[in-house]
Amino acid sequence: MTIRIWEGQSFNDPPPEPQREAPVTRRSFLRTSSAAVGGVAALAAALSPLRDLKEDDAVSIDKFLQKHYKEMTPKEMEAALARISADVEKRYNIRPDIRDIKPMAGVEFVYALNLSRCIGCRRCVHACVNENNQSRDPEIQYIRVVEMPRGTLDLEKGNHHYNRPTVPDAGHFYMPVQCHQCANPPCVKVCPVEATWKELDGIVVIDYDWCIGCRYCEAACPYWARRFNFTKPSVPADRLNPEMSYLSNRPRPKGVMEKCHFCLHRTRQGRLPACLEACPTGARKFGNVLDPDSEVSQILRTKRVFVLKEEVGTLPRFFYYFDERYPRSLDPQAESVAKSLGHAQPPAAAPAAPQEGHR
Amino acid sequence: MIDSAPQPHRPPPATRLGLPIGAIGPLFVVVAVWLSFWSPKVEVPHAGVATVSRDRFLPGARRQPIGDPPATNVGGFSHACNECHRLFDSPPVSRRTLMQHTAIVLNHGMNNQCFNCHDRKNREKLVLHDGTLLPFSEVPRLCSQCHGTVFRDWQKGMHGKTMGSWNAASGKQHRLSCNDCHDPHAPAYQGIIPLPAPNTLRMGNQEPAAEQEHRHMPLRQWSLPEMPEPELMGPVQPGPEPTTPAKEDHQ
Amino acid sequence: MKQYLTFLIRCFRLSFVGDGRYYAWMFFLSVIVLLGINAYCKQFVLGLGVTGMTDQVSWGLFIANFTFLVGMAAAAVMLVIPVYIYHNRELHDLVIFGELFAVAAIVMALLFVTVDLGRPDRFHHLMLRFNFPISMLTWDVIVLNGYLVLNLHICGYLIYCAYRRREPSKLFYIPFVFVAIAWAVSIHTVTAFLYSGLGGRPFWNSAVIAPRFLASAFAAGPAFLILSLQVIRATTTYNVPARALLTLRNIVTVAMSINMFLLGCEVFTEFYTDSAHVASARYLFLGLEGRHALVPWIWTAITINTIALVLLYTPLSRANRYLNTACVLLIAGVWIEKGMGLIIPAFVPTPLGEIVEYKPTLNESLVSLGIWAFGLLVFTILVRVTIPVLAGRLSFDRPYEAEPAPAVQDPMEIRR
Repeated sequence: MTIRIWEGQSFNDPPPEPQREAPVTRRSFLRTSSAAVGGVAALAAALSPLRDLKEDDAVSIDKFLQKHYKEMTPKEMEAALARISADVEKRYNIRPDIRDIKPMAGVEFVYALNLSRCIGCRRCVHACVNENNQSRDPEIQYIRVVEMPRGTLDLEKGNHHYNRPTVPDAGHFYMPVQCHQCANPPCVKVCPVEATWKELDGIVVIDYDWCIGCRYCEAACPYWARRFNFTKPSVPADRLNPEMSYLSNRPRPKGVMEKCHFCLHRTRQGRLPACLEACPTGARKFGNVLDPDSEVSQILRTKRVFVLKEEVGTLPRFFYYFDERYPRSLDPQAESVAKSLGHAQPPAAAPAAPQEGHR
Repeated sequence: MIDSAPQPHRPPPATRLGLPIGAIGPLFVVVAVWLSFWSPKVEVPHAGVATVSRDRFLPGARRQPIGDPPATNVGGFSHACNECHRLFDSPPVSRRTLMQHTAIVLNHGMNNQCFNCHDRKNREKLVLHDGTLLPFSEVPRLCSQCHGTVFRDWQKGMHGKTMGSWNAASGKQHRLSCNDCHDPHAPAYQGIIPLPAPNTLRMGNQEPAAEQEHRHMPLRQWSLPEMPEPELMGPVQPGPEPTTPAKEDHQ
Repeated sequence: MKQYLTFLIRCFRLSFVGDGRYYAWMFFLSVIVLLGINAYCKQFVLGLGVTGMTDQVSWGLFIANFTFLVGMAAAAVMLVIPVYIYHNRELHDLVIFGELFAVAAIVMALLFVTVDLGRPDRFHHLMLRFNFPISMLTWDVIVLNGYLVLNLHICGYLIYCAYRRREPSKLFYIPFVFVAIAWAVSIHTVTAFLYSGLGGRPFWNSAVIAPRFLASAFAAGPAFLILSLQVIRATTTYNVPARALLTLRNIVTVAMSINMFLLGCEVFTEFYTDSAHVASARYLFLGLEGRHALVPWIWTAITINTIALVLLYTPLSRANRYLNTACVLLIAGVWIEKGMGLIIPAFVPTPLGEIVEYKPTLNESLVSLGIWAFGLLVFTILVRVTIPVLAGRLSFDRPYEAEPAPAVQDPMEIRR
């Protein structure tokens, strides 16, 4: 195989007489330099929108050098929190109580949602926006309530924008969806910079100061649970929730992802998530699945629970259930319940679950 | 014919579209001026902001139950029940054809007798089927007589609402009682006004009514059988939201 | 070293030398680039909200172009394989243009990813915490940059040897050529895996995506090279044998046939199964619930792809005019089918069944055009300095000889 790269000349030819390159005349110099000057001027004009960069958009050395959450020493975290606190105070004139709250030992959170009880009133959606300092314009909401026709679980038949005088509507049931905090989270898998990860208590969190905004996680999430700050988020100062934590509801910059984090600044201190507290029907249940007596453990044991899109293998920590009864004959706690009701013994195995028929 | 070997050099065509180098500088300046003054303005579209006042989603109970001992408000004054009821004897069977308490609508299924729950003699107590008197604060025991399975779920925290902490061990849990949410005389939930629908960036307001019922894909059309009113939810009555002052968080 | 620097400086200077047409073309591209820079600065200030993207459709024109361009870059291998494996003579002197185009295409692809980032200022986080090998995006970063380096090395080495009038040492580039062949397949496969690995997006979650990517790339890439070679033929004295174009035409024909076949497979599986997963495909081809922004596009793509394929099948396309038409149609068709037609429908409906359409904004389109113009600018410069070097008109020991008067190479018809 011969490689002939160029035509004609043989290697042994003597090089021809070197000539001078075309002389630079004054005229050609003027022309060239005028083109160069014009080009630079046009480039400067093209760059001129950068003048509108806001002061707080500017990347300071501290921000630029801030380490990944998992690599920060306690001292560095303190400095980062102080910086964030100062930023918030400057912008909203409110001194926030911002901390870095770690997971509790021996706790794995699980959420359960009773679809028989949910009436689709969207109290959870707005309580969440309020609690977590979500942007009002553009509007960012972590929870979507889908109005589903009865007889199907196909979300494509649902309606996100129902706007009825009152809810619930007779022919529909309501399915709120938020981050499912998967045990096998596709969003964590795809993140190129490890800006999102699963914590020990099962909550999938985002380091807003590490995310590069590629939105691959948003494409990967089968539950459409992630939101992107397409522009600078805005929260009215009088609605700012000053109780903040690093991984949850502190104000986010533009260009990063955010999502539901089970209100970790509340739940890691024993409180309940804001969506649950706002629910007027008690359809939302939250707790520690490692505690066998917790509400969610009871539900997982005795109700017929299911997860959304089980086929994608994400192992969500967010369970749905309908309020049908578990046959009492199969209930491991039937005896204790019967005792508390004053019966000596559990009734003989019922042929079918008793009808509820009322509320 | 392919690839004829030595190719004849022909003189260049006389006229050729092109740009003299001297023109480039001034043209760039034109571009610079255009970019500085007339380059297209860009804006981020604004979503319609739905401001929802905080009291629309306060945590806590859905309604304010009657206290214990119970009292009623007549003519602007609060009266204990027995103030009146010890004066009158009630018939053993009473079905809500009263002149007092007209605001009470009894819509509790087959449980349509006042004295199924209220004591005929002592109106400040409730009564169990076996005649045991019960204070108003112990409503769940009364309800459990019929709603055993719901009571069981409620005891385990699977029915109803818990406030305070998710952690039972913390001791800060408060489980709302039956009548914190349900009206004992008409326990089915009434419809409430939903909070505003999402209006994400640039999506614009969706026209809900037009498409609401016709969102299905043509190929997968199938009709649902006419379903009865969902019995759990009760009839939906359009109207103002029954605003009961929400209780403060029990923390 | 000094010699090499001189070489680079001379090439740089040469890139500013040309005739009026060259200046007009470069000026035109520069203006588009400036418009793109201007638009990107606005995006940088205001955020990605100035694009048509939403949380519902979170990837758009940028990622569509990125996908298309990765394919174009991979297509260089369609020249390399005939030359280095099958020892094809005609393509031999042209293979370098394929590699140069790969360089330009990769540069464009990387720029498209960069402008799609919400926080380009945190780009260095990739270096600090690199989620390799879990995230496919990290694979893509590696293979794309690796491919860029490989091609820069191969082209740079060959051109520099020509400049030094030295026989290139096979040891220094043949191994890299073979690595590059496998690597080219890998860049497009990895890019396909970016999408097909997502279980939550049934439209993408298909094993045929990677083969389809390769087939469409091997059609559109050589088609673009045919057009570039036609321009080189028309504007320089560089020898572009007509038979080489015919070889490329065959490659395009076969690759495009396979691409259309795979597309058919996909369409059949989606629509015959008619499961819940068909929604995205239905949106793309037929529209969903009264929303059908992509329907005219995809049918245009299918129509022009079919016309291109028919032209390529018939002897008609042995004539330059029809060959060029077929190539233009094919590139446009593949761009729609694989760019917008592959990226957008996966987001419609959303995983929660919401249907929100996507339309690129003017600003977004300007940024995209700017990147395309920049890529073409790079390609033009690379070709512009390469041709004289390869033709022996620019070498270390003699001054630059201007282009001889342009020759009309073959008659326009390249019929046998």
